[in-house]
Amino acid sequence: MEFAELIKTPRVDGVVLRRPFQPTVEGTLCLTGHHLILSSRQDNTEELWLLHANIDCIEKRFVGTLGTIIVKCKDLRVIQLDIPGMEECLNIASSIEALSTLDSVSLMYPFFYRPMFEVIEDGWNSFLPEDSFKDLESMTDEWRLSDVNQDYCVCASYPPLVAVPKDVDDDTLRKAAAFRHAGRFPVLSYYHKKNGMVMMRSGQPLTGTNGRRCKEDEKLINATLRAGKRGYIIDTRTIAVAQQAKARGGGFESEANYPQWRRIHKAIERSSVLQESLIKLVEACNDQSHNMDRWLSKLEASNWQTHVKEILTTACLAAQCIDREGASVLVHGTEGTDSTLQVTSLAQIILDPTCRTIRGFQALVEREWLQAGHPFQQRCVQSAYGNGSSVKVRCEAPVFLLFLDCVWQILRQFPCSFQFSEHFLVLLFEHAYASQFGTFLGNSAAERAKLKLSQKTVSLWSWVNRPQEAQRLSNPLYEANSLVIWPSVAPQSLLLWEGVFLRWNRSSRCLDEAYEEMVHIIEYNKELQNKVNSLRRQLAELETDDPLQHTE
Amino acid sequence: MEFSEHIKTANVEDVVLRRPFYQPTKGTLCVTGHHLIFSNRGGDSARPFLLLLRNIDAIEKSVENLPSVSSGTITLKCKDLCVLQLDIPGMEECLNIASSIESLSSLETVSEMYPFFYRPPFLSLQDQWGLSSTEQHYAQMKEIHDGWRVSQVNRDYSVSPSYPPAVIVPHSIDDETLVKAARFRQGGRFPVLCYYHRETGTVIMRSSQPLSGANRKRCREDELLLQAVIDGSELGYIIDTRSSQQAQQARMTGGGFESKSCYRGWKRLHRQLEKGKVLQESLIKLVEACGDQSHSVDRWLSKLENSKWLSHVQTALSTAGLVAECVERDGHSVLVHGSEGTDTSLLVSSLAQLILDPDSRTLAGFLGLLEREWVQAGHPFQQRCAHSAYSHVRLRHEAPVFVLLLDCVWQLARQFPLAMGFSEPLLLRLAKEVYASDYGTFLCNSDQERCVTGVKERTHCLFQSLLRANERQHYSNPLYERTELAIWPSIQPPSLQWTCAFSPIQWPFDMC
Repeated sequence: MEFAELIKTPRVDGVVLRRPFQPTVEGTLCLTGHHLILSSRQDNTEELWLLHANIDCIEKRFVGTLGTIIVKCKDLRVIQLDIPGMEECLNIASSIEALSTLDSVSLMYPFFYRPMFEVIEDGWNSFLPEDSFKDLESMTDEWRLSDVNQDYCVCASYPPLVAVPKDVDDDTLRKAAAFRHAGRFPVLSYYHKKNGMVMMRSGQPLTGTNGRRCKEDEKLINATLRAGKRGYIIDTRTIAVAQQAKARGGGFESEANYPQWRRIHKAIERSSVLQESLIKLVEACNDQSHNMDRWLSKLEASNWQTHVKEILTTACLAAQCIDREGASVLVHGTEGTDSTLQVTSLAQIILDPTCRTIRGFQALVEREWLQAGHPFQQRCVQSAYGNGSSVKVRCEAPVFLLFLDCVWQILRQFPCSFQFSEHFLVLLFEHAYASQFGTFLGNSAAERAKLKLSQKTVSLWSWVNRPQEAQRLSNPLYEANSLVIWPSVAPQSLLLWEGVFLRWNRSSRCLDEAYEEMVHIIEYNKELQNKVNSLRRQLAELETDDPLQHTE
Repeated sequence: MEFSEHIKTANVEDVVLRRPFYQPTKGTLCVTGHHLIFSNRGGDSARPFLLLLRNIDAIEKSVENLPSVSSGTITLKCKDLCVLQLDIPGMEECLNIASSIESLSSLETVSEMYPFFYRPPFLSLQDQWGLSSTEQHYAQMKEIHDGWRVSQVNRDYSVSPSYPPAVIVPHSIDDETLVKAARFRQGGRFPVLCYYHRETGTVIMRSSQPLSGANRKRCREDELLLQAVIDGSELGYIIDTRSSQQAQQARMTGGGFESKSCYRGWKRLHRQLEKGKVLQESLIKLVEACGDQSHSVDRWLSKLENSKWLSHVQTALSTAGLVAECVERDGHSVLVHGSEGTDTSLLVSSLAQLILDPDSRTLAGFLGLLEREWVQAGHPFQQRCAHSAYSHVRLRHEAPVFVLLLDCVWQLARQFPLAMGFSEPLLLRLAKEVYASDYGTFLCNSDQERCVTGVKERTHCLFQSLLRANERQHYSNPLYERTELAIWPSIQPPSLQWTCAFSPIQWPFDMC
């Protein structure tokens, strides 16, 4: 298919662009295969350069022959284009609709994007499972890297290499996989160096209504326990939901078959509920009614903050079991690709200072989200404005965005403990939904391999890890903190993430200026500190020198 | 009266003190006339913990008296919203301590309060009390000398008991006219100048309601006074901080509003700001919501909504924005009043000045503003701040108008992080000092009362203390960069955030 077929009117003059908090711009609108571009005719600079993939939905209106297209983006921005000429407007609108909903992944922009920057370090090779396993090997010899999923046959959503207990052979893994949802047998997610306890994750066990059991599965997870020690299974579903899952072949680990494990049920909502919540939240944020009661009711009714709290609470529980109780933990929900990953990755942020660095956080996203098989493409196909446009079973859900929101809450409570700033989290949110980079394409390692993303597209990490970009994303207040950080999960401590949800509804000028001023002060402070240090050294040198040499 | 009469047990050993963010500690508890002193027996580097009895809003006690154990627990809920607990061995000691606290914390005689005994080495009673007088303030504003003058008509507080001795009024209006205009305003609070806008030459005035009453009385002198304010220009705005219905009803009790026919050139706008009991109850609900331990987000947000506190913040900011808009954008003078002119009027006029005037956004400028617009202007601090959010005492005149001002200022500072010369800790400190203080600044209800009780001679001024070099540094905003522009706050509900300050567990403890 040629993009040109979809573009009936590639160019319209005299288009007016309206955005909140910015002056209106008149210019020429151009459509390309992947972008919507508006440039003002005066100085030939582009005023707007928008990826079609970023467009969540459009609305069109007509007054006489003047058409208006309202473009609602996945990054939550809303812009308005006034287009003279009804036909032009209709053509543009239908092109945008077609180009923003392309079905084939290989037509996406990352396959056409050529980097304008020098790739110093290829992000596709930055975080290989082999490398992270080497770190693990330096701490313990109780684990091995299994290639049982080499050809993605045992588990379609797992990577080819996974870490499992040393004493468990591949055969046992295969049998355990047959007993777990979509073959997601328990694998290592995190090793707590301080006390040797581990966190594992998996899909739900397929016990079904007649309480099936699987010796191999029991053996696999028991192999992670120390003699005489009990472990915790954190089920991200309520007991009622877990019971219901039995009717559809799923289930949970019974006390009788897993006597060494204590099961705790928490209530993280399933993805469809989260999507509703996001839609309501964004609607509340965009409400112009100036009515305080209405805002707070709407915020409450969206339930978003409740989801943030539930996820953080569950992550804290997992971290607590490991660090305070000295017990190993297995986390799962139903599929093990959504709430499970939220919990395991947040628990690591709480426990492991490495995850709070720029590279460590990338490694975490790579390990616990991309490699672990979070279906990014399905989940991020639509954002908050795209309700009802797809006929298929809806599988979009802001699972990753909620994770980022939770990280932001922790970052806000521990402003000096993270090497990266809020900007990094916002950047990841944007790129998960629409990007020139291939990192978030596909739903699993298998799909990414099939699409040959590492050969055909550029990795987001190649961009992020350039020194100037890493500098931009870094937190000026950072001071390495090797401690476990326990966030407050009291509702009063959780705030709305303004950087994402109010980003386009407020003028950020004052906040940006303040941020720059803070950076400036910190740099100046460092400079002075260096000066003091060098003067001290000089003084010490002068004092140790033979005083007679200086008398003339 | 001697304080010692109230103190049956002055010392108790082996008391355990529990407070947020600290490990429980065992030590000696001591009750003095004005303080609870708790000293750690280990006595290493830790300073003794000192609590002003005046700071205690409510006290709860429970005792256990068995042959084996005799002990008691006292929970202290403070006006700064901190909650402490004391475990006291011995039932009798516990009951004695509790009754001492109860009687000493509710002493009403001003001259017995702690500021009259506080003598820090770094301040002298010989210093001028306060930052600036009306005359000094006037002298600094050369640009108003043509049109405005200082009137001493209230030098003996006979014209308006709640006004300071000197006020700024239009040059063309003589004292006799002022006296007559004062009779037509509640509490004698005739219109006076509070802010002059250099660029447009327009002003913000404040007063109390006119006493037009049911039969629509009028007062030539009051009309003349307001006419002189807009002399030459066509239009002025009266911002009434009551709804038009409330203003109508006020006529039944002798109050009222400026009718169109008598005040030509003045356009009246009504913006309803809550005050008094409604505001106090809002604070109580807010603090209860903040202290809610149920960990349910729904419950927290509905309680927050139910408290209506953020709505009060929004209304105050939007009304102040309206006043500022009239002055700066439309170039018209404004008169602000509600009924008494001692609460919402001051809230609106001082917020409008913060929006417009870069001089009021420096640390010294802000404290000067508070002194002029709240202390001298006669906000009845003693009545309004007698109790805070925990007290079980029946409400009389309590209302957190000043705390609401501080919250609004906090919202402004959050939206304009560079524009304010002072930082959040200053606002927190003021919120604490207004309820219980070592200083005399917030004692009494008016300038007159402060003179009568000798506050100005026998106590120290908080504002002066806050401007000492080391304090100044602590309360300055490191990001401050002066902007000459007006700062227009966003009053969109999502832009107004709840502050952690109301959360009992979050309240900082730097004063103790």
